Amino acid sequence: MKLYNVKLLTVTCEILAQKNVIKILSKHKITGYTTYEVDGNGARGLRGQGLKNEKNVKVEVIMQENTLQDVVEEIARTLFTNFAIVLYVSDVGVLRTEKFV
Amino acid sequence: MEILELIQSNLLTPIVLFFIFGIIAARIKSDLKIPDAISEFLPIYLLAAIGLHGGIEMRNTGFETMLVPMLVAIGLSLVFTLNHYQILRRIGKFNLFDSYALASTYGAVGAVTFSVGLSFLKNQGVTSEGYIAAILAVLEPVAFILAIFLTNMAVSKQIREKKESVGETQVASEIELGISETKTNLKQVLHESVTGKAIVILLGSIIIGYLIGEEGFSSISIVFDELFTGAIVIFLIEMGIIAGQRLDDIKKVGMFLVGFSILIPTFNGIIGVLVATLLGLSLGGAVMFGLLLASASFIAAPAVLRHAIPQAKPSLYITSALGITFPYNIIVLLPIMFMISTVLHNEGSIDLFYYISRGLL
Repeated sequence: MKLYNVKLLTVTCEILAQKNVIKILSKHKITGYTTYEVDGNGARGLRGQGLKNEKNVKVEVIMQENTLQDVVEEIARTLFTNFAIVLYVSDVGVLRTEKFV
Repeated sequence: MEILELIQSNLLTPIVLFFIFGIIAARIKSDLKIPDAISEFLPIYLLAAIGLHGGIEMRNTGFETMLVPMLVAIGLSLVFTLNHYQILRRIGKFNLFDSYALASTYGAVGAVTFSVGLSFLKNQGVTSEGYIAAILAVLEPVAFILAIFLTNMAVSKQIREKKESVGETQVASEIELGISETKTNLKQVLHESVTGKAIVILLGSIIIGYLIGEEGFSSISIVFDELFTGAIVIFLIEMGIIAGQRLDDIKKVGMFLVGFSILIPTFNGIIGVLVATLLGLSLGGAVMFGLLLASASFIAAPAVLRHAIPQAKPSLYITSALGITFPYNIIVLLPIMFMISTVLHNEGSIDLFYYISRGLL
């Protein structure tokens, strides 16, 4: 079976930045994503203790490389300074490339 | 000293003891934790109970009586928020964003503090006006909206000044984008704070309480009346743990903010009690009115401010509201306000003015 190369963008951020990330995604016509709540430690201290609003969340999105550049640029420009956020990109293979813009 | 005695006896109530216990558990690094689902459920439960009680009592008293206290509370909240901002910006030398975020955190109300106040009064055998729950609901977004509005104004002004000094067309278009973004920001925040779960459950329960009245309530009173204080106790274990984890951060917020987090609630609370007494609220009602103005928001505040003023440091406003003001309010300030309200309500109206003039001088 043939696998097509696409990009997986993973954003780990504070839960209150989740909305902003998803808004950026939908601005670039990306409607599919997966999120899950996570704990961890980072530059802004131990996250995920206590109040729900201080938890972290991981957002995973699969997209084509040309969309990726714009999305990553916008996330970096609007969210990096004020929010606890880390993002990275990996290469993944999918069967149905038409599902991912 | 009667006040000291009252503070002492307040220390030995289950609510305060469990709160302190939570702090100790966090300090000894115990893995004690209230499960997430329960600590998310309890504020909803507490607000539902507060709303139901408020609604039932409003059925008895009617809407007209609450109009003046509500408007006065909104007015005071706005004035206090502006006052906080001036103090923080001018004396505390905080930046614009932190100043507005902190000012609105302290101008807003704390639903948990409010619940503790209600059970404190219950413990003292005193009742309060039910419509104060409605004031709680209306007051919640007021301070935030003001602070967000003023922050956006300040930011737009800065951007406009930059635009004038640069004067390049390409830059100008980017700046216009910035202005329009802040505008949509405000609209979004307004919508979010009004449809936020705290206000929705509170208003919904007030309406339901109003509709069902005493008779309808009797079938659910075992959950919403008798369990109330017990539920607060469980919630305060969690609050104690979170406050305990943040004790180290208090050093980071600085002496000025520590002082601010104690003096401002004291000032606002006592003014609140005096004003409420003048408006003719009962002994318990005046305490709750004062507590509304004294309390700081630590559950709603981060959710609203993180979107509206993302530049402000959440560690400042959460730590000061939850780590300093909340314990101070429920342990020390509540008995003090109760004492003041008792004195005011036991005296005749002429003596009342004597106390007020002394208080102001």
